[in-house]
Amino acid sequence: MCDQIKNILIFKTDIATAEARHSAGKILDAHMLIQDWNIDLDDEDYVLRVISSELTPQDVILTINNCGFFCEELAG
Amino acid sequence: MRVRNFDKEQLVKQKAVQMLVADGFEGFSVNKLAKACNISVGTLYIYYKDKDDLITRIAIEQGEAMHRATLKGFDPEMWFAEGLKVQWQNRYNYMMNEPDAMLLFEQLRSSTYHQQVIGPMSQNFKEVMGRFVSNAVSRGEIKQMPLEVYWSLAFAPLYALIRFHKEGMSLAATPFSMTDDILWQTFDLVVKALSL
Repeated sequence: MCDQIKNILIFKTDIATAEARHSAGKILDAHMLIQDWNIDLDDEDYVLRVISSELTPQDVILTINNCGFFCEELAG
Repeated sequence: MRVRNFDKEQLVKQKAVQMLVADGFEGFSVNKLAKACNISVGTLYIYYKDKDDLITRIAIEQGEAMHRATLKGFDPEMWFAEGLKVQWQNRYNYMMNEPDAMLLFEQLRSSTYHQQVIGPMSQNFKEVMGRFVSNAVSRGEIKQMPLEVYWSLAFAPLYALIRFHKEGMSLAATPFSMTDDILWQTFDLVVKALSL
């Protein structure tokens, strides 16, 4: 894994369907400071994983909330 | 701040294989694995992108570990019977010592992960095994044949015996336990069948 651990931000969300992921994905894809992102629809926490060297967890939470979804940082 | 913990990574990998074998790919989840390892879900997602990524990488690692064990003491320049014997011994030892690995590979074969795992399979392994066979063909020890024909003769009998042993029974539910006699009698017949 070549990404720095500190650049990997992990969240619990309610992005539970492919449609919801597509909807949030449009915003995440367009975000200049997000290098990569992924949502695991197979997990009960619908975990969002964001790779960014600039964003804080709060930044991501705000972004996801603005899309209409719940988002909470997952403890490491 | 999260810190990488290599001992934890090893525990996660071992537990993941056990749980994949016990629960199947559908029944497995990153959440369940985290609970079983007594770590947070967040920690797991540091190492793995998602469930698919975890399963694929664990499977590839298991495959590579098996390849390393299979090549121990093996030289593709060996005479055919000698080299095949080393292969049989290594593969048999590995399957006896790593029962979960064998069950995982069987599950993989009939899963959607198969292609993703087989693709990145160790190039070195393929080359070494390929060279062994082509050396034997060049020397006139065995005939040239399609890979599937070769494998079905060279290794399928070994895996059939291992399966019987693991299940404790052979055909028509006859009780069965592997012995050295059976193993090497089968081996000798395999070499005879393949030899020119």
